[in-house]
Amino acid sequence: MSTPVIEVDDVWVRLHGQTVLEAVSLAVNPNEFYAIIGPNGGGKTTLLRVILGLLAPSRGVVRILGRTEKEMRKDLGYVPQFRTFDFEYPITVREMVLSGRLGHITRFPRRYDEEDHARAEQALETMQIANLADRQIRDLSGGEQQRTIIARALVSDPKVLLLDEPTVYVDAPTEAQFYRILDRLRTRMAIVLVTHDIGVIPERVNRVACLNRRLYTHGTNEITPDMLEAAYHCPVDLIAHGVPHRVLSEHSREE
Amino acid sequence: MLEVLGFEFFRNALAAGILASVACGIIGTYVVVRRMVSVSGGISHAAFGGIGLGYYLGIDPLLGAAGFTVASALGMGALQLRARQQMDTLIGAFWAAGMAIGILFVYLTPGFAPDLFSYLFGNILLVPQGDILLMAVLVIIIIAVVALLYREFQAITFDPDYATVMNLPVERLSLLLLVLIALTVVMLIRVVGIILVIALLTLPAAISRLYTTRIWTMMLLAVALGIAFSVTGIGLSYILNVPSGATIILVSTLAYAGALGVERLRQGD
Repeated sequence: MSTPVIEVDDVWVRLHGQTVLEAVSLAVNPNEFYAIIGPNGGGKTTLLRVILGLLAPSRGVVRILGRTEKEMRKDLGYVPQFRTFDFEYPITVREMVLSGRLGHITRFPRRYDEEDHARAEQALETMQIANLADRQIRDLSGGEQQRTIIARALVSDPKVLLLDEPTVYVDAPTEAQFYRILDRLRTRMAIVLVTHDIGVIPERVNRVACLNRRLYTHGTNEITPDMLEAAYHCPVDLIAHGVPHRVLSEHSREE
Repeated sequence: MLEVLGFEFFRNALAAGILASVACGIIGTYVVVRRMVSVSGGISHAAFGGIGLGYYLGIDPLLGAAGFTVASALGMGALQLRARQQMDTLIGAFWAAGMAIGILFVYLTPGFAPDLFSYLFGNILLVPQGDILLMAVLVIIIIAVVALLYREFQAITFDPDYATVMNLPVERLSLLLLVLIALTVVMLIRVVGIILVIALLTLPAAISRLYTTRIWTMMLLAVALGIAFSVTGIGLSYILNVPSGATIILVSTLAYAGALGVERLRQGD
């Protein structure tokens, strides 16, 4: 069995006297599409920040490709929440995508070489935004901005793509296009998608977990009523009407 | 009018205005895009503590100001990186404490504090030759550092979390940027004074941002605007015989208001 790209091992996070994450463990295998759903404030972004090394857990470790050094995070492709971006910032699409290469440049002063430029062009092509390369990010549509953010994550040739609430601020056609893009990418890397919207979990996901301080999972792509109930603490029929009918099974915490 | 160019004090004033504008355009661009205006206000007012200390110790007040601004920049930067909340309160504390320390030292200094007013409100017509040289050196340092670290500064001011994930030394780069802001503030004290520093640091860059799509073009336009405002301000203050610092700031503010108004009209139709 190959090493998981991401391993979260018994992670606890306490912030301002509150336990945000409690005994969270999960493993993401290469080429796996892992969805983590949970209510707002359930610790989803916190878990991503721990994986990315932006937040030190109170207890537990994160391994990337089996190693715990912080430098390993250069193999993670991070797609932050849309609303955290300052789209007024004076930067062009090409500059923003190129900046994703900085983590791989070790010479000083850091200058982009032929390979960096070639990879940036490739990522622009993959995301179908090559024709927008010299525009300022302010002058793009929401869907184009989102593809630019993903392109920046792709130029570093990541082993896993981490997406934080990627479909919150986009309209339905853009969302459909977004999932088509993920379909193409999943053959090249593992994908971790975090969202509060259980309606968006597509059938193509390999594994689903529910996060609300603790992580509830079956190790399959099923969202079961008991997982939802455990994570959302409210009757399932109130929240689960976008969920396709699935086989019920006993829920368990992933150890 | 042109015969005033024959006076050394006037040539010095123009040189000081141009050098300050170069520093402002470059560093002010980062201040504006990263929304560090209030941090810069805190740094510049903390400088007054250094001015007071300079008087008290009998050294060049600008030397004291340089020490105080760099120390307060590093202090605020370190606090910002650790305690993320209540940054505006922290800035307010630095702001007021710097002024208070300055007032106490000036009070404790025996005798009269000469030029105190010019540090608060600036007097570009009194800039000595030695200060021009010092300003030139600072401008060269700023240009060199920004040229070397352009991509890194872009990364940390655009998306610091992503820069951290790329393993860039975000903390050290942020502190370095704050030190560059502090040095720029010291240069500006001569030109417009502590109280008006913020305007010259931010207004040219804020106008430039309306018309540019990249950091380096924003810097170039901001430098050009800064030079235009300071030369116009110096000229007007000479002709009308009014304080130069205040005139430069009013010229900049009017231009900013005009640019915003034009922008409104453009978007309105």
